[in-house]
Amino acid sequence: MSKKQQQAARYVIGIDLGTTNSALSYAEIQAEPDPFAPANVQLLPIPQLVNPGEVREESLLPSFLYLPGSSDFPAGTLALPWDEERGYAVGQLAQKRGADNVGRLVSSAKSWLSHSGVDRTSPLLPFRAPEGVDKISPVEASRRYLEHLREAWDARMPDAKFANQQVLVTVPASFDAVARELTQDAAKQAGCGDLTLLEEPQAAFYAWIERHSDWRERVHPGDLILVVDIGGGTTDFSLIAVTESDGTLALERVAVGDHILLGGDNIDLALAGAVAARLAEKGTRIDSRQMQALWNNCRVAKEKLLSGESAQEQPVTILGKGTGLVGGTIKASLLRDDIDKVIGEGFLPATGSNEMPAAQRRVGLQELGLPYAADPAITRHLARFLRQQASSAQQSAVRRGPGGLACPTHVLFNGGVLNATMARQRILATLDAWLAEEGLPPVKPLSGEDLMHAVARGAAYYGIARSGGGVRIRGGVPRTYYVGVESAMPSIPGFPAPLKALAVVPFGMEEGTDTPIPGREFGLVIGQPAEFRFFTSTSRKNDQVGDLFEDYGDQLEELSPMEVSFPAGETSSEVVPVSFETVVTETGMLQLWCVARDGRRWKLEFNVREKVNA
Amino acid sequence: MKIGLAFRAFFNLLFGGKLSDGVITELGLAKKSAASVKPAAPPSPARTTSDGALQFLGILQRDSRLVDFLMEDISSYSDDQVGAAVRELHDQCRDAVARYVSLQPVIDGVEGTFAKAPSKDPNVVKFIGNVPAKTPDGGTLRHKGWRATKIDLPALAAQQDATVLAPAEIEIE
Repeated sequence: MSKKQQQAARYVIGIDLGTTNSALSYAEIQAEPDPFAPANVQLLPIPQLVNPGEVREESLLPSFLYLPGSSDFPAGTLALPWDEERGYAVGQLAQKRGADNVGRLVSSAKSWLSHSGVDRTSPLLPFRAPEGVDKISPVEASRRYLEHLREAWDARMPDAKFANQQVLVTVPASFDAVARELTQDAAKQAGCGDLTLLEEPQAAFYAWIERHSDWRERVHPGDLILVVDIGGGTTDFSLIAVTESDGTLALERVAVGDHILLGGDNIDLALAGAVAARLAEKGTRIDSRQMQALWNNCRVAKEKLLSGESAQEQPVTILGKGTGLVGGTIKASLLRDDIDKVIGEGFLPATGSNEMPAAQRRVGLQELGLPYAADPAITRHLARFLRQQASSAQQSAVRRGPGGLACPTHVLFNGGVLNATMARQRILATLDAWLAEEGLPPVKPLSGEDLMHAVARGAAYYGIARSGGGVRIRGGVPRTYYVGVESAMPSIPGFPAPLKALAVVPFGMEEGTDTPIPGREFGLVIGQPAEFRFFTSTSRKNDQVGDLFEDYGDQLEELSPMEVSFPAGETSSEVVPVSFETVVTETGMLQLWCVARDGRRWKLEFNVREKVNA
Repeated sequence: MKIGLAFRAFFNLLFGGKLSDGVITELGLAKKSAASVKPAAPPSPARTTSDGALQFLGILQRDSRLVDFLMEDISSYSDDQVGAAVRELHDQCRDAVARYVSLQPVIDGVEGTFAKAPSKDPNVVKFIGNVPAKTPDGGTLRHKGWRATKIDLPALAAQQDATVLAPAEIEIE
């Protein structure tokens, strides 16, 4: 990486680093780009172990990592075309073997990356690993997925090394600054030279643009596009407004939702639970391994039921354990009723636009682990997201009904769950009911295709659009950020001084800009590390830089603290008055600087080792 | 040593020999295996032709549990019970076969209608019924036949024992 750009980039590479599946797509950079020509985005087949000793190319790399013990695989069977001594497995084999031995399987590393309650650089995973397994950090797991993709690329494109190409890695729009920075670290360590992060819903929208060269005729200024992304493990919402500037269409990402740990895997597991409960009524109990098989079979049966119109039920069988296959076979069936109940009443119920999701558990003694959503109803999470936009009057681009609800004109679906027509229709029906209450016509679905690869494709398309003058979605920072400032108050024993929040990054601050924070100076003691508490909000969009807030209630979410450490040598214990300055880099990374009056600057870094107890 | 050889074979299989030696060196392979790839590396344990057959049987067991099914005494089970098990086995077995072997009919015609014999080779066409002394040019197609047009089994690593079709499983509770 130190040999900076010896070779000009020939390709733009888009990487969808997903919670359950990853994909890589690419497009060649044209010397004289025509903004109206198709970008010709292609998917890279990813060689991966699918069985011990068997490498096959697949278009998706399951985001699973298996850390084998000495008795797991015969020697030499984890070899990859580019590394015959690989000591771990990534992809399909990891996913398969991990089902039999969960203690050595790393899964959902991405969700851990965005979990602020733990030190994300420490070896945490596999989360339930037995004593003696060398754990790795969520950052390291992400690095290995990205490294596998880099190696797959280099093996196929030996003349255009990965390190020399323009790489776009997608992250959920809801990722906060810390999770973005950790993703960037993982990508740099995996060998990305020229890296930009892109939000997934935007990438999905770019993929739609790529597929529809006449998109300018399909949306109009004033339109508001809701992107609903339900993947294997997470759900994400974004709003993109269509505006007009200088006579051409412009796009602006105006809102992103919270990170919701809820997705297709939960739905399949709930279906398996329904079938298992029926079996239990008849006196047949199944163990955890059979449950795993049932989970898989229910996924297949669900897809069959959802694709065929007429069938009311689909048999699911659990083959006998041991060598007795027929004798131990358990017969069951998945009913259309099960699906209607689980999806219709559980995950996508027809709720009112005022129904908010059940509150997150905030119990102090909650088991350490991923903060899964407490309420499975995705429609209620959606209602909250659209309601939240009501509080931000400044965002004039957001179309709102008389009731204050943000009212999208179009919906773009993304993620594997929404391949099912029934799931899409339920969301549309719910949205239409809300819009009717506001006196507005129904939403129009934007037809997306290939929902499993759209994000990777869109990322590569964006890379081309960026260099060739194609359309770009203006977004900026999707949150407001604050630094905690202790009030100057007489101290009362037993009570910490109340914390005020100083807004340092406004919502929508654009890439490649910087903002000084006026009117506030802090005394920094040189030679001692100084730490600041750091907060964020996705819903307070009107707070201006330099504003100080006292009563913010639970609207602000605490992130990892920010720390400034001074280079060795400056050991005099002088106190330097500094003010803050915020920078958002061209690649979308957020930086906070302490600036002394004489112009000296120190960058604040996230201290992810400091555990935050929300 | 053995690994290096198996690996090379494997690599060739995967990329169909499309990559030049120079490319392989550039991939960093030579560097990593510098210690293990000796010019006169002994060949991996003599692989016999039966290994491929055992490997394929192993794959069918792994992916569809075919050996379990064949070796089980199913005479005491009801047709219902057998049917339920076979339905799933059939799906998985067919997927496994399709993944590694490409099958095509020898004569792509409609059974029960007239078909011309594409060849007089007894490997390819078997004449049945009232066959005249002189080999005929065609007749009524009774069975289309099957031909494997491609077989694509993964290379076995040196340490893989093809005679074990399925490992024993021991669960730690």
